[in-house]
Amino acid sequence: MVGLSLGETHFIQGGIAQDLRCDGRKRLTYRPISVETGVIPQTNGSARVRMGATDVIASVKAELGKPSLLQPDKGKVSIYVDCSSTAEPAFEGRGGDELAAELSNALQRCLLGGKSGAGAGIDLSSLIVVEGKICWDLYIDGLVVSSDGNLLDALGAAIKAALSNTGIPRVQVAAGTSNDEHPEVDVSDEEFLQFDTSRVPVIVTLTKVGRHYIVDATSEEESQMSSAVSISVNRQGHICGITKRGGVGLDPSIILDMISVAKHVSEQLINKLDSEIASAEAEEES
Amino acid sequence: MPKLYKFLSVFRTGAVNAASGSAYAEFGNTKVIVSVFGPRESKKAMMYSDIGRLNCNVSFTTFATPIRGQGSDHKEYCAMLHKALEGAIILETFPKTTVDVFALVLESSGSNSISECVAGDLPVVISCASLALADAGIMMYDIVASVSVSCFNKNLVIDPILEEEIGQDGSLMITCMPSRYEITQLTVTGEWSTTKINEGMQLCLDACAKLAKIMRSCLKEVASDSQE
Repeated sequence: MVGLSLGETHFIQGGIAQDLRCDGRKRLTYRPISVETGVIPQTNGSARVRMGATDVIASVKAELGKPSLLQPDKGKVSIYVDCSSTAEPAFEGRGGDELAAELSNALQRCLLGGKSGAGAGIDLSSLIVVEGKICWDLYIDGLVVSSDGNLLDALGAAIKAALSNTGIPRVQVAAGTSNDEHPEVDVSDEEFLQFDTSRVPVIVTLTKVGRHYIVDATSEEESQMSSAVSISVNRQGHICGITKRGGVGLDPSIILDMISVAKHVSEQLINKLDSEIASAEAEEES
Repeated sequence: MPKLYKFLSVFRTGAVNAASGSAYAEFGNTKVIVSVFGPRESKKAMMYSDIGRLNCNVSFTTFATPIRGQGSDHKEYCAMLHKALEGAIILETFPKTTVDVFALVLESSGSNSISECVAGDLPVVISCASLALADAGIMMYDIVASVSVSCFNKNLVIDPILEEEIGQDGSLMITCMPSRYEITQLTVTGEWSTTKINEGMQLCLDACAKLAKIMRSCLKEVASDSQE
């Protein structure tokens, strides 16, 4: 919880109204983003993203599993977020559970797309090994290491970076066994398949403070918010998911306005992220 | 454009005698009871608060889904219900106290297991809860109505049933206060273009307005009955 005096809250609100925030940014400017990939060797892919003082890690683990009966031609992806108590004492014990559940739900909504697979960041049918029998289960875990606002955008970016860092081992199905109940498979430990991450959307959270809204709010600014709308946008400019936080109602026209602003902001964010990811990967290889 | 209105709905207040207010709603296959208790004194462990607290809980019966469930709470729904209602209730009117909203889904229109149903039941739970709050005499800015829309290729379908939900490209759920024209909760999944979002939102808002009218007439009926 952020404790702010009356003067400080006025200062934050006044700054936002004048398009000059406490750290010198404009309303629609992000903090500098830094990306590191391959930070956890035990995983199939991982990344660490820092936006100012917000620091998150995302890891991707792939395990062989069985596809669900309803969707035999698709793999499974699950996203979980953990809010570590090292980030904030309030997260200790079960204190972080509520926030963690909110973040994981929002991420699932924003990244996994509709039931038919439209708008999904990950092509689930690419995870299938033997239809109806074997598929890859992707476990995406986010960890909040340090929290200074805008966790959802940072986690979204970290997951995007981790996925582009992910290599799924090539699987050989033993000849003649693919019709058996349990086909024999040989998991290669040398050959890896890369993911196509060009469709993974980025998440842009617009936080409404007073009559204006800002991107990439710090926790001080978040404590002054009336409501926030997180919009995930992919490279094509399509909207892949929206969640609203905060209880205060919003006029429909404001939401539509936010959507068009988010589309505009997301273009810059996607380009920025892609170049950061590329340079992080290049650094890892050298 | 084919649009299907499934407004074959039943709304009733006063479903539970022990509660301060309660409501029962039936929407297609979805059947929900919501009871509202309180305002009661907040627990001692809670910090002092000069506005009231809202405590929401959504649970499913074991027989709500085709495959027998655990009858457990639905954490995501609890949080969503809380967020949908808190903006509509005038919390300043009951400081230091708590209002409990308990929703029980008797029959779910959703998928085989609780974890898989996304949008089917929640709008009904939210609308029913706001009716129960009104029945309990909790001060609200407006009645809260909630509607979901599914998108298939180019078509929008309002209030989708299970079979439609499985094949949908995207879904949109809006909770709003129609008289104030304010959205308290909004979730979107799947891929949408901006024009589609516009269209879907407008459809939802219109439907919410109609729904609120039905809910309001239900409340008026009860009030006029009790006067006689």
